Amino acid sequence: MDDAPTIDLDALLAQTATGDQAAFSTLYDQTASRVLGLIRRVMIDPAQSEEVTQEVFLEVWQSASRFDPNKGRALTWIMTMAHRRAIDRIRSAQASRNRDTAVGIRDLPTAYDQVSETVEVRIEHERVVAAMSKLSETQREAVSLAYYGGLSQSEVAERLGVPLGTAKTRLRDAMIRLRQELGVTG
Amino acid sequence: MSDKNREGLGYELGAETPDEAREFEAVAAELGLAAEPIAPPASLKADLFAKLASTPQLPPLDEPTPASVSPAPASVAPAPASVAPASVAPEPAPLAPAPVAPAEAPAAPESPVQLKSRSRWFSRPIAIAAAAAAAVVLFVGGTFLGSALSGGDSFQEQQASALAAINAAPDAQRATADVEGGGTATLVWSGQLGQSALVAKNLPSLPNDKTYELWYIRDGKATAAGTMMPGNAPATWRVLDGKMAAGDTVGVTVEPRGGSTQPTTNPIVAISS
Repeated sequence: MDDAPTIDLDALLAQTATGDQAAFSTLYDQTASRVLGLIRRVMIDPAQSEEVTQEVFLEVWQSASRFDPNKGRALTWIMTMAHRRAIDRIRSAQASRNRDTAVGIRDLPTAYDQVSETVEVRIEHERVVAAMSKLSETQREAVSLAYYGGLSQSEVAERLGVPLGTAKTRLRDAMIRLRQELGVTG
Repeated sequence: MSDKNREGLGYELGAETPDEAREFEAVAAELGLAAEPIAPPASLKADLFAKLASTPQLPPLDEPTPASVSPAPASVAPAPASVAPASVAPEPAPLAPAPVAPAEAPAAPESPVQLKSRSRWFSRPIAIAAAAAAAVVLFVGGTFLGSALSGGDSFQEQQASALAAINAAPDAQRATADVEGGGTATLVWSGQLGQSALVAKNLPSLPNDKTYELWYIRDGKATAAGTMMPGNAPATWRVLDGKMAAGDTVGVTVEPRGGSTQPTTNPIVAISS
């Protein structure tokens, strides 16, 4: 980030690794609404989303010492964990079929009340939203289904009613565009 | 991160090479931030923090940290340093809960002199060093959640869990004051929970026959709320026994080992909630 963050999430995570509950508390305050927002987008069900959010933060607490700042930022580390857990949960829970109708078709209503977060997180959000807006409608749809829906390429193809190769191309083109827009080097 | 991730998500998103898969995963991590934020309920944080005490942290991959705490046996007076293994590194141990004598331990009999000299400071309107509730960085934590706490409902585990609950309470407040003789004390409390904890930093060490005792002071009466001994850690803390009420003052006195039923000395610090 070029923008100076008001709170250094990486440092908070490092302090958390030493058992510092106060640091973990601040880290939670600064990121929990993002984590819940993503998990809710994936899972739809509010109660399960909160459960998984708690699991994610317990995992952050437990494995904070394994975070390597040389390999990425604390925020993306936490969000990756959140995404993985949410997808794992919906894949293992066959009962949650209803959520499919919502995935990728509509955004959840916003709930900005009491969301406190750093300028860093807010700017990051706007950057990603801006990058997503550069995609074509069909690309955005494919990415939403694959990322937020946790669908495989063949599932994406089936959902969109297009051949597998077309689905893959859309996804790939979309990701390449996003990579460029976000300046991600991996 | 995991093998599954490395082989899965990047390729599912259309990557064709390992490098590309890694980059797509990095992009995907950013995509998580595009979802609209949703403020979690306060109960989520409270539940989470209540679980921390029983959620051991993975040690850093390079340096194992020795645990310097063991539960204080009920029949034995606190012996802060003696529980640390001889091989412990010389640098100060991270914050550990104070070895504590349980409140129900028999109080040392008071000598007539002690009784006579007891100053009922707590029943008089004394100048109480009530610190403004400031934004204090609370230095609770440390690596005490390691192996020393692996055994079930140890006293330390209950203490850690109680402290986490106070910290996580939506109405948690803090006030800090200097301690007579050196160091500082921070009171953190939650009116909703009716609980408080005292976190002391750099307290003077005490002779073996003395202990720090905590008191709830309400309506001119002092109620014993537990004892604590500064260990070799720079910070010592204890969740007070009993229920806190709004407006209670928390005082600390030096008492004979085992604690007293009423204060026998003047407080070294008193903080109003």
